[in-house]
Order: sequence, then structure tokens, then C-alpha cells
Amino acid sequence: MSLIAQKQYDEGIAELEAAYAIKPHPNVLFNIARAYHDAGRLTEALDAYKRYLASNPPDAGSVVTTVAVLEEKLKASEATAAATPEDKSALPMPPPPASIQAQQQLSSLLERLEKAIERAESMPATASPAAASPAATTASKSDGAESSADQGAVPYEERVVTASRRAQSSLEAPNATTVITAEDIRMSGATSLPELLRRVPGADVMSLGVGSANVSLRGFNQRIANKVLVLVDGRTEYQDFLGLTLWSSIPIGLEEIERIEVIRGPGSALYGANAMLGVINIITQSPGSGRRARFSVTGGTGNSVNGSFLSHGSSGALRYRASVAYSQADKWSRDFASDRPDMALREPDPDIGLRGARGTLSTVYSFGEGRQVGLSGGVHRFNTEIYPLGTLRNYYMDGLTAYAKGDVEVGPLKLKTFWNHISGDAGPQYEPIGQRSLIRDVSSNLFNAELLFARAFHLGGEHQLNVGVEGRLKRVDWDYLGPLRQEVHAAAFIQDEWRLVEPLRLVASYRVDRHPLLDNGKPGLAHSPRVSALFIPFEGHAFRASAASAFREPTFLESYTHIPVPVPGVNGASALTTGNTSLRAERLTAFELGWRGESAELGIDWDVALYQNTVRDLIALSAVQRLPAGESYDPVTGSYLLGRSLFQNEDAVYTARGAEAGLNMAPVDGLGVKLSAAFQSVSSDIEEKAQCGPCSQAPQLKLYGGVTYRTQADLEFGVDAAFTSSTTWIEREPAAADPTRIDFVSNPLKAHTVLNARVGYEAVPDTVNVALVGSHLGGAHSQHPFGNRIERRVYATLTVTP
Amino acid sequence: MSRPTSSWKKKALGGLVLASLLGFGCEPPPVVPTADGRQNTHTARIEGSLVVQSRARGNAVVFLYDADRPPPPQGTGRPIAFTVIPAEQVFGPALTTNAPGPFTAPFTFSLVTAGRYTLRGFIDADTCGTAAVQPCHRPDFIPWYGVTSEPNAGDVGGAAVDPTTGAPLTLEVTADADGHPQPLTGVSVSFSDTARVPVDRPAFQVVGDRTLGNTPKVLRLQPLQMQNGAVDQRTPGFLVGYVDANRDGVPDDANGDNVPDFSLRVVVRKLHPTLPGVEENDVDRNGVPDAEGEDYLHADGTLDGKPDVVVLAARLMADPLITALTDEQGQPRMQPVVVPELQVAVAPQALDARNPAAPAPLKDVPRGRYAVVVIQPTGQTWRVPNELDPALAPGVGLPPVESQAFYLEVP
Repeated sequence: MSLIAQKQYDEGIAELEAAYAIKPHPNVLFNIARAYHDAGRLTEALDAYKRYLASNPPDAGSVVTTVAVLEEKLKASEATAAATPEDKSALPMPPPPASIQAQQQLSSLLERLEKAIERAESMPATASPAAASPAATTASKSDGAESSADQGAVPYEERVVTASRRAQSSLEAPNATTVITAEDIRMSGATSLPELLRRVPGADVMSLGVGSANVSLRGFNQRIANKVLVLVDGRTEYQDFLGLTLWSSIPIGLEEIERIEVIRGPGSALYGANAMLGVINIITQSPGSGRRARFSVTGGTGNSVNGSFLSHGSSGALRYRASVAYSQADKWSRDFASDRPDMALREPDPDIGLRGARGTLSTVYSFGEGRQVGLSGGVHRFNTEIYPLGTLRNYYMDGLTAYAKGDVEVGPLKLKTFWNHISGDAGPQYEPIGQRSLIRDVSSNLFNAELLFARAFHLGGEHQLNVGVEGRLKRVDWDYLGPLRQEVHAAAFIQDEWRLVEPLRLVASYRVDRHPLLDNGKPGLAHSPRVSALFIPFEGHAFRASAASAFREPTFLESYTHIPVPVPGVNGASALTTGNTSLRAERLTAFELGWRGESAELGIDWDVALYQNTVRDLIALSAVQRLPAGESYDPVTGSYLLGRSLFQNEDAVYTARGAEAGLNMAPVDGLGVKLSAAFQSVSSDIEEKAQCGPCSQAPQLKLYGGVTYRTQADLEFGVDAAFTSSTTWIEREPAAADPTRIDFVSNPLKAHTVLNARVGYEAVPDTVNVALVGSHLGGAHSQHPFGNRIERRVYATLTVTP
Repeated sequence: MSRPTSSWKKKALGGLVLASLLGFGCEPPPVVPTADGRQNTHTARIEGSLVVQSRARGNAVVFLYDADRPPPPQGTGRPIAFTVIPAEQVFGPALTTNAPGPFTAPFTFSLVTAGRYTLRGFIDADTCGTAAVQPCHRPDFIPWYGVTSEPNAGDVGGAAVDPTTGAPLTLEVTADADGHPQPLTGVSVSFSDTARVPVDRPAFQVVGDRTLGNTPKVLRLQPLQMQNGAVDQRTPGFLVGYVDANRDGVPDDANGDNVPDFSLRVVVRKLHPTLPGVEENDVDRNGVPDAEGEDYLHADGTLDGKPDVVVLAARLMADPLITALTDEQGQPRMQPVVVPELQVAVAPQALDARNPAAPAPLKDVPRGRYAVVVIQPTGQTWRVPNELDPALAPGVGLPPVESQAFYLEVP
């Protein structure tokens, strides 16, 4: 770093080469090639491009063209040995650093390149043959059409696509944004997606089982966390009918992920329902962007086994990514022993916390510039735990998920369609012997189509316009909901990013969603506006202010459910849980101030956010209400209904105020440090603290610290710790003395720290890597009063990339 | 690019990996109860079969009682739990016939703690079928209201009884050496047409004012017939008989007052001062005095330090009953008869009935409201005030009946 700052380019680039040797990501190699190319060192650039091509990148076609041009130019140079090194090619390359100013610009450029490499950035620039997801790639291309400013900007810096549904610099994102890169994932040793999210400032990750976690942002976490939208390549993994993300049912493996973008703040203006507190967009590797084959096996305590195979390839204009995997792990702990005289174990294997076999195939066919078709699909046969609401406790699901996705891109138009399916048996893991069982089959199908259009134009400044329309059909067949339920949803959105005058930018977004029940049981509209102002007074610093509204729609469960829940110990009695088709959507009004900054000289970037979220119309179960006498007997279950608890909008208004800060540092080569802190306070206008669930259940303080270090030799070290302050969970429980009375019980939960560590060793360069990972090394604890007691586990992983 | 790596590092890492591989856990996950109350309570179950010999058809309802707190008429205990075995399951294809059976069906009481129990039950019969008898009832049991939670005429009683003697059985759920309850299986609960309930519950209204002064007061209880919503009571009167515990054919006189003991009882019980319909010192309505509550000065000037079960001294006016229970030959009728009215003398004397066998007189009559409870020899009870009180009924989905708001007040 310092060498480049001192304009000792040879030494600086040598260090970059060393960095690549430590972290041999193809995109880093591409960026090195670009750096040589920009510096006018064409021979080295040619060599780097060829090395990049050897990794079988998806943009091989265009890179081959670049190589051909370079080779021609080098030949010409050799033929005219006395010729100047000036670049006369047709490529849009900047001139060599002929002047002091140019040298300084190049220095700055390389500074950022090195920083980007240190942070394992993997998104090349718009004009570059980006190795990004289809979404990122296409969005980048729309960038290219619109952004003259981008052309002069940093081609190597971190780019995100989720905040505005187009590729942009993190600095330009109108929301607080956190990116978790593939390298972060690899170095973390994490075995699940939720564990990775602990590093996100403000993220509230609550693991109840080894395969069951609830994730929220900025408070409001709960069993069945339902206010954060989780996407995989833009396809929802949020199970609309439940209001839950089944993390361990997602067919995508960690090894397939290019990066995870987390939008910490309302996202309904672009993504509609359920993007209330944030959006987690998991972006997978672009087909054809990786190695031909990658094998990985993991084994560890808790009977943990994981094996995966991942392959990238191409044939002409067709690129593909395919994967298969199997994983399983025991629960951290069980609630009941097998030999109890009072409880029956219902799930097929009561020790298993998660088990799954999955496969995915993703393909892209390019017809030419700006025209491509993507088809992908996946299936996952899984078994996991689920923790539902109310008096229900630990469930299992033995099921299957499948999806199919098709994307068509023609210039500025993109058509995205997908089908999501989930089905299986689900029910309590443990039920009293003699009690009516709640195990039922469930089947859900979701069909979604979205048409997007992007265009840049000038009108009182530069505009980037994004518009889209969306339709969604949901069909759910589940005994808990009565007959087959079906809903049709529609939506439209528009966003304009207006570069009014440098350094000020305005982003205005608006989306309207049509929901079949929102108008007191009839079709109604939900409006989600967002306005953001970005002030970038000087390079590397962006100040943002935003106001937005977001919503969460009532789920099928909340609208239609009809479950007579057995009263424990009173087999002739049930407590009816019912849905409510007159629910209003949960509403969020959010205000946020943020500062994102980068200091290439110091190898630091940071993000600070202050927010206020006001939540209205929270949907929750009511207290049990007595039914009319004539409705007391339920002939279907042969039980008497103690009363009814129905989903309703709460009267209370909750206000969450908080501050978040995240800091990434790469002070020396090989060393990476990530720190974050989040403080929040949730209050209610009418509820006392002791009675306010969302207030006491939200941890006030969360801290995260992680350090990774890669030696010049072949060793990698990583350790991270996440602290969550104490909470009190107000949960329903049948009274011990009289189970027909349902009490609200306060359950204090101690503060806990999740400590993970990883040691990796590259036994054979670029081919064989072994790693030893320890998770939850901080000791046994629970993250929810009804969750597993989480225990230490140790894993060993062997990865072979022939 | 050379990557010098010290051999000790390789060995160390290799050792770690090997140790990890060798240490792969094969142990099952530990059992660690969470904060959920059920996971921290060891219980067992009682299971067995119903044996029904009856032409009645309806759901079988079985109640679990603490053996030390039997239900009326032996005591005032309330069920700990109940289970319902639907008629389809009990009678199967014979549901639409009047075959007498026997029919059997399994039942289970889940999550039962160690202890001694009794089982009672009844067939909540639909007596309005082809061979309808009057008053006939559709199944009308609803456990959540006092006015609907007991059998009516035509229902068939049952219990876990000794198969040889027919005496009610006390069932014991024992615990092992670790204190963990053990399941009790093979229990039989018998229902028979011989235990058909002859009359409806003793629903009544009180004639007269509600204030008790310093002198005894006579309350006149008259049957109340109601057919409204979930409440269907058409009792012609009160079922009264003589007590003949030793079955010698002569009415008992346990207290030696030269007045025969009647099998119908009347209790006047103090109510909670603020909770409507709740008896004092039984806020959780389980029939057991609360751990904390009102403790009144006893007649001997002492406080026993325990919440009192305050009742007023009340007795049935015997003459009308004796008349009704005397046959044409002047002999006592040992079979219960239905009388159209009860007269109850209530004295301004309060007792602590915490020990029902030996009520202790209190020094003063505590002020407040008192409920009147009638207990028939069948165990059927009725109490005023109850949920039909117009102040309560609409809120719980029952028809309001003004007379059911009656209470006796000690000013």
C-alpha cells in the first residue's frame, strides 16, 4: 500500500501479485490485469489476462478479444521498437501516467484496487467483463448506458445491486448496506447462512436449533421472524404463507454464494411486502465463473457431515453452474428424552437437527450484447426444526423445496419469473401420549413474474429510471388453513435516481402492492414510498438521509389459520387459534441518517447509521377469548374449545431508535479486521416495559469483532465474536396449575457471546485446502428461552479444487 | 511463488485435523429442557378402555379427580382434567342403532403427575332420537360453564370401579426411585344403563329477599326450567332421598338430632368480594382453598392462620321432605323422590368448612355475598348466582336469567 502511495509502482504491483498468491480469486486477477493495463504495462497485463482466462470466467469471450487486441498491439510495438508506449488501441483505456496529475490519479486508483483486493471485492467495473451475478451483470450494463460519471469513478470498488435494483457503488446506496463476500464466507468457516449474518450491524440472529434460526434487523425478532425479506438472486426465500425464512431449506450452499448484500432498512419501495426491516439478497456465483470442479467434505462433532460438489463450465455462449450436496447435523440439545412415559417423539429421527440433500443447476445463454437468457432450478430434500408461535413449541419439518427460475434480458428490459415449491410433513417434535396430533401435510406453490425496465436520461440533471411490474400467485394446501387457499398479488414500482447537482443526489422510489385482503378482507393497496438524499462532498465519503415507509403483509397463517391446539394435559380441550382476513398490513415508517466512508490510505472503510423506526399495526395473537357457548364443541377434533386466540393488529405503536457502526480495516497485507456495534431501544406508546414484548425482546447492545490473517505461507487464521445483550421474552404458556388458563410468562435470557475460530492450510496450492473450524467456542448458551442449548462444535473441512 | 512452511506448523495443523476427525461426536445430543414448563415437569399417563353397556348414544366424557377431593355428592372437588371419546369412536357402526353393547374404546389422560386419582364420567347422550323420552336432550355438556358442565336426564354415568365389587377405584400413579411418575395402564371405566341419570340438574330460583339479618331466614327454592341457547334444564323438582349409608333400610341420623339425614344437601358459601361468581379463597376455582386469603376469627377467639372456607349454617326444612318421603303405609321411602320445592333455613352463624367433616364456628358472620348451592344425591349441583346472571351472561355467550343473579347478603 505504502509503496504505491510513494509511486513505486513496480513494488506496489508486486505486492498485489503477492496478495493474489494469498487470495487467488479470479476477479482479483482480472483487476490486477486491469491495473497493469491501465499502467500501460501491456506485457504484464496480457499475462494477467491469460491467467484470468485460465480460470474459465463467464466473460471469457470479451477478455479473449481484449487479449487479442493486446497481442496485436504488442506485436506492433515490437515491430516499431522505437515507437512510444502510447496506447493507440480502440480499447477505452486511460492513457499512461504521463503527467504528475495522471500519476497521482493512477496512484489513487491502485490504492483503491489494493483496498478492494484486501477486502476481497469481487465485482469488476461496469465496463469490465464483470464476474458477477446475472442481476449484477445486467444492472452493470445498464450502468454503462447511463453513467458517464461512473466511467471516471472507481472501477474496482465495492458494488451492490440490492439497494436500488441496479449496480452501484456502496457509497451511492440509499440505504445502510453490508456486503458479505465469498471470501468472508470462506474465511469465517461458517456452516450456515444465519451465522454469517451476525457480522451485520444491527442484525439480530437467534438460533433455536442447529438448522433453525430467526433473523431480524433492528429489533422485532421472534419465533417466526417475519419482517426481513430474504432473496436468492432476487427469488424470494421468505415463505409467504408462514412469514418465515426456512434457512436450512434453501437449496443453495455457502460454496455457491458470490456475496450477500444486506440492506439494513426498509425495502418495500422496491421489493414490496415483507421487506420491512431489511432485505437480505444472496447472490450466487454467475454460471461459468468458477472452477470446473470443487469437492468439499466436512465432518465434525455433533455427527456433522457435509459434502458438496460444485462445477462451473461453458460451451460457446452457454455457461452453467451445477452443484450437489448433502449435509446433516445433530441437534445441539433435545427437549425430551426418548423413554419418557408421557411424551411421544414424533419426528423420524429425534436426534437430527438438520439433514438435507440438494442439487442446483444454473445456466445462462448469451445471444449478444445485452441479450441473454438464464434458466435455473434446484431441489432440496430436507429435515429441519421450526419454532412456531403461541403455545406451540418445537416443530419438525420433513419436506422438500424446489424452484425453477427463468430470466430474459433484452436491452433495458428484463423479465424474471420463478416458481417456488415447498411441501412435506410438519408438526410438533414431541406430543403428550394420548393427545391429538398436530402433524399435518403442507404444500405451497408460488408463481412470480416481474418485468423490469431501466433507462437513463437527462432532464435537469442525470436520471436513472427503474420501473417494474410484478404479479404473484400463491397456492397453499395445508390442513391448518382449512381448504386450499389461493391469493393473487400484483405490484408496480418506479424509482428515479436524480443527480441534481454534484455532489447531491436524490433517490425517489414508490411502489404500490395490491393484496387481496388488505381492505378489510377485500382487495386493497399498500403504498411504499421512499426518498433519499445522498451528499458526496468529496470522494470516499457519502452522507445519506432517507425517509421511507414499508409494510409486511398478513401471511396465510395469519389470515386463514384454524387450529384447535390441544390443551396440554386436558385431552378433551383445545384452544382455537384462528386467522383474521380483516388484518391490516404491519406498517413501518423509517428515518435514517448515515455516513459511509473509505480511506484508501489507511485501508479502512466504515459505515455509521442512526435510525428511527416506527412500527404500527403489528400482527400478533390475541389473548384467549371465550367463544359463544354454542361454538364450544369442535366435532372435527372431538374436543371442547376453551376459547379463541385470533391474529389481530395491535393498538400499540412501537418506536425503535438505534445507532449502528461498522468498520473494516486491512492495515497490513493479509490482515483483515471487522468491527461493528449496534445499540437500540424499543419503546411503546401504551405498553409498560414489562408488558412490551418487542421492547424487552430486542437486545439493546450487539457487538461484533472479527480478525482474519493470511500468512505469506499457506496458513489462514480467523476468529470472530458476536455479543448480544440480555433480553426478556414474554411468551405464552399454559398455567401449571390449570392448563386451561394461558398465561403470559416472562422468560429472562442471559447475554451471550458466540465465538468462532478457523485455521486453514493450503496443502497443495490452488488445489487442496484443509481447515479446522470451531463454532460457539464461548460455551453453552441459549439464544431463546425455548431454543436448544447451543454447544461447542468442531469441524474439519477438506476442499479439493482439481 | 515459494511458500515456505515450517514442518512443525504442518504437523500441528495435521494433528489438529486428525484429533478433530478422531473426535467426531457419535454421542446423541444431550437432553436439556428449555424454559418451557412442560419440559421441566416429569409426568406420566393413565390409559385404559371404556366399557359401555348402554343403549344411549353420545360422546363419552371422562373426568380425572384427585382422590382426596371427590366430586359431589361425596365432596366438592372439581376435575383436574377431562377427556372426550367421540361417539363414533365408542360405538362405531352401532352408533345409529340402540344395541346395548358392550362397546369399548381406548382413553388416555396425558401428563398426569404422581398421585391418587379417581375417574368418573358420563355419556353425554342424545335422548331426542326415535325413542325420545321427555325431557329429552341433545348433547349439551360444555365444560367451561357451571350451568352446563354436568350430566342431565338421560345421560349415563360411569366410573373406574372395582369389577368385582362395583366400588369406585382409587388409582395411583406411582413414582420410581428417581421421582419420575410411572404410567398407569389397563384402567377400565365402565358405563351402564343402570347408572342413567334420572332427572335434570336441580336448577332453581330463590323466592324471597336476599338479606340475612340477625335472625334465621328461610329461603324457598323452586325449580327453574330453561330452554335457551346452550342451557336446557327442565327439572320437575329436586331429587331428595334419605341417607342410608349402611343400607339397613332405615334412614341415617348421623348427628343424632332426631331428624333423618337427607341425601340432598344445601350449602351457603361466601363469595369473593370483587370477582363475580368466584368463591372466596378459591380464586383459581379449583375447589381447593387458596394458599393465601381471608382468615376469620373463630368462635374460640383464635385464628387458624389459613384461608377459611366460610359457609353459613343452613338446613333443609325437614317436614315437607319427610312427607314426600313417606309412603301410603307411613313407611319411609328409601328411593329418592322429586319434590317441587325446598325450604332452607339459614342461620346467622358462619362456619369455617375448610375441614368439611368438622366445620369450625366463626365468631362473627363475615359480611358479604353468599351463594346458595344445591347438591342432589346424583352429584348434580346447581348454584346461584351463576353465569346466567345478566351481568355476566352476554359476555360469555349465555342467555341472561334474572333469577340467577340472586345471592344472599350479610350486610
